[in-house]
Amino acid sequence: MIHIFDFRDSHYIFDVGSGSLHVCDENTARYLAGKSDSLPEEDIQALENLRREGLLDKAEISVCPQKKKEAKALCLHISHDCNLRCAYCFADEGAYHAAREMMSFETAKAAIDFLLKESGDRRVLEVDFFGGEPLMNFEVLKETVAYAKEEGEKLGKKFLFTTTTNGLLLDEEKGAYLNEEMENVVLSLDGRPEVHDAVRRTVNGKGSFSAVIDNIKRFVASRGDKHYYVRGTYTAKNLDFSKDILFLADQGFENISMEPVVTSIPELAIREEHLPILEREYEILAEEYLRREREGRGFLFFHFNLDLEGGPCLEKRVSACGAGNEYFSVVPNGDLYPCHQFAGEENFKLGNVNEGIVRGDLREVFRTNCLFTRTKCKDCFCKFICSGGCNANNLHFAGDMNAPYEIGCRLMKKRVECAMHILAERKLRKSQENERKMR
Amino acid sequence: MIKTIAKPAEKKITGCGECRSTCQSACKTSCTVGNQSCERITRESKIERK
Repeated sequence: MIHIFDFRDSHYIFDVGSGSLHVCDENTARYLAGKSDSLPEEDIQALENLRREGLLDKAEISVCPQKKKEAKALCLHISHDCNLRCAYCFADEGAYHAAREMMSFETAKAAIDFLLKESGDRRVLEVDFFGGEPLMNFEVLKETVAYAKEEGEKLGKKFLFTTTTNGLLLDEEKGAYLNEEMENVVLSLDGRPEVHDAVRRTVNGKGSFSAVIDNIKRFVASRGDKHYYVRGTYTAKNLDFSKDILFLADQGFENISMEPVVTSIPELAIREEHLPILEREYEILAEEYLRREREGRGFLFFHFNLDLEGGPCLEKRVSACGAGNEYFSVVPNGDLYPCHQFAGEENFKLGNVNEGIVRGDLREVFRTNCLFTRTKCKDCFCKFICSGGCNANNLHFAGDMNAPYEIGCRLMKKRVECAMHILAERKLRKSQENERKMR
Repeated sequence: MIKTIAKPAEKKITGCGECRSTCQSACKTSCTVGNQSCERITRESKIERK
């Protein structure tokens, strides 16, 4: 299968089976789309050469990998409480539809023991400190890191830690600790102050922008070359979200992500009629992204960071997210769920860190789930890039883990096309620069 | 005219599981499949560059 698309005056062919991207002229694009019968002989020959090299019309694999029953990552909900009351919070403002509570160190230890025991031969394990706001339970976070490192070392396993924080408690001391121990830190910030304040409010109902921006800036400045993301959410209230991303870039943040809200709250939810506006926003962003890059002041937008040459192997691409089989969420009382999006949903409780997984049947549903169980994705060019999307979003919004969440799909496809255009422009620019140097 | 922009590198090892877990809900951003690089290739190319 091939996907033919345009970006402004450029025409692209993405070969889904091989994962190759080609740029072509309008005639070739029309010919491949079946809209024209004629093409110069040399161009027909060029297409044949690509077919012979396996870069065009390559057959696609369609067999699910045999996924082992091995755990690899935990999302540790060390705090089911939050010091913000964000309007769109999927986690019920941190409480996940239950009592506000903190995870004890004993439970966190049992969670680490569970992960080590379930991890089989895997050498690299991940723990994400999540909430609510994880820095509200900072002492347990630190004790857990120390324990995991010590126990991991005994078994020859390495832990990669991530913390997601809203930045409110991110003082210099905590920042220094996160810099030392965290492989990645995700910092929540929605963009322009008025946009951020409209949805990310304190417990007292005030906007939180001014309370977090200095903390986040100071932390990022101290982060050196370690990974971080400033991550925002856009809603129906800021359909012009490209301005928020550029605002964040103008603040000096170099690693930025901005995600569409997933909610059913009417005034915030992304609706189908918003999609043309949002798709246009991604195009505006892609053009500005390239312009800033040419001017030497580029930044990294997560969704435009598509690696077609050294990206994940096909096994990874068809395996989907791993939730419920290699990735689990642990809530403060130690109960296990397939991921943070399912936390608190009784039907999806898999077991507990002390007794292990008791719902083997449910784990099997997640283990056998893969791109090819998502039959509606069969004819989509994006399938080997998104793996069929998020189980939880699919279930909550399309009623079935294997049915795509259509709005998320449309936006994903647009982002991927923009990312491909960026890759192409970058490559063509480099080749022009090289030609100039050769002259 | 048709010109190849990108083609995937051949991978000697697949399914090694060294890459990060993926989260398509994007709450955790750093892990959507297509936006990842193969960690083994990245690591090996870093060693080669050294």
